[in-house]
Amino acid sequence: MSLKHRLHLLFLPHEKNNHRAFLLQPSFLAILIAFYLLNQSILRSLATIKPGVLGYSSEITIAKVYQATNAERRAAGLPALKYSSTLTQSATAKADDMFAHNYWAHNSPQGKTPWDFFRSVGYQYSIAGENLAKDFYDTDSMMKAWMNSPTHKANILNAKYQEIGIGVVNGTLNGIETTLVVQHFGTPLVAPVATKDNSSKVEIPDIAAPIPEPEVLASAAPVINPTSVSKVLGAIMFSIILLLLIIDAVVTLKNKTHRVAGSNAGHISFLIIIFILLLFSQQGRIF
Amino acid sequence: MVWHEIKHHPFSFTLLFIGLILFLLLFFYFYFDPHLQRRVIYGAGVFYFLWSLLHHYQKGDLQFSLVIEYLVVALFGALLLTGTLF
Repeated sequence: MSLKHRLHLLFLPHEKNNHRAFLLQPSFLAILIAFYLLNQSILRSLATIKPGVLGYSSEITIAKVYQATNAERRAAGLPALKYSSTLTQSATAKADDMFAHNYWAHNSPQGKTPWDFFRSVGYQYSIAGENLAKDFYDTDSMMKAWMNSPTHKANILNAKYQEIGIGVVNGTLNGIETTLVVQHFGTPLVAPVATKDNSSKVEIPDIAAPIPEPEVLASAAPVINPTSVSKVLGAIMFSIILLLLIIDAVVTLKNKTHRVAGSNAGHISFLIIIFILLLFSQQGRIF
Repeated sequence: MVWHEIKHHPFSFTLLFIGLILFLLLFFYFYFDPHLQRRVIYGAGVFYFLWSLLHHYQKGDLQFSLVIEYLVVALFGALLLTGTLF
């Protein structure tokens, strides 16, 4: 059998492949699934064997998060939050703790709550809150994700909060290099007074010049973004299968083939919906 | 071709399109909640599989080989999406 004929059987319907391209037959689809799962396993193993090889690059900074948060508040008719370096210390400590103990949650495996971090930096609050985000590339998409979540939005637009601190820290979580963003909201028990002792609470104007830039790791940017790898591989597989289903529909109609096979219209509709979800899915996670 | 198929089974495909669009909307409605998004994707896979049984039962050509084909296609879609997103 010539190579051309083999390729024909692989991609096009023919009586020798029971009028269905081999690539569209369940056994080949199962092989594609196995190949995809193998790729996922390799990525996960890589994260364990060589931590830091996989990762998400990010352009998020404290200043951008601060400005975006206050922009949302202003749009809702609320006063801007004051920047608190004390709350930034607690937010940064929380991000450091998540990297140190390899977890992604409001409460640590050691039983530390967000409020423990507020207290550890000496922030006495009457009301406080915490928002978490990871794996986002830019501030806009992260803010959108928070604003789409009722609980995170409630923190950002809470009229009772007066101050905010932001931690933006790079590190390796579960073997994958990423950027963790922690927002700590609070209202101090006693309003800050303009004395020489209030260095920890500074009102920052919109230009946000005094807001520190996040720590930049000495190492280079992450080599492989695991979500992008999976997304590209998935998109290629979906495109091939969709294309073959369309070709199959054209050829069988042209040849007036009668066969027992699944509905091309059904398969195409289902896979297009999944493909749309794949393309428009977000990369980052919030908590 | 595809349109030809849809025209011959309007009820079946209307049901499929409504169901798939509903799952699409649900996915974006739960955009902030990965746990619910995952359930929506699995739900879409199960819905598609069940739809295929109904569709071929009505057509009168429901066979074991078709059940396997739809099961694999539903798995293919659901696994590739959940594997990428979560």
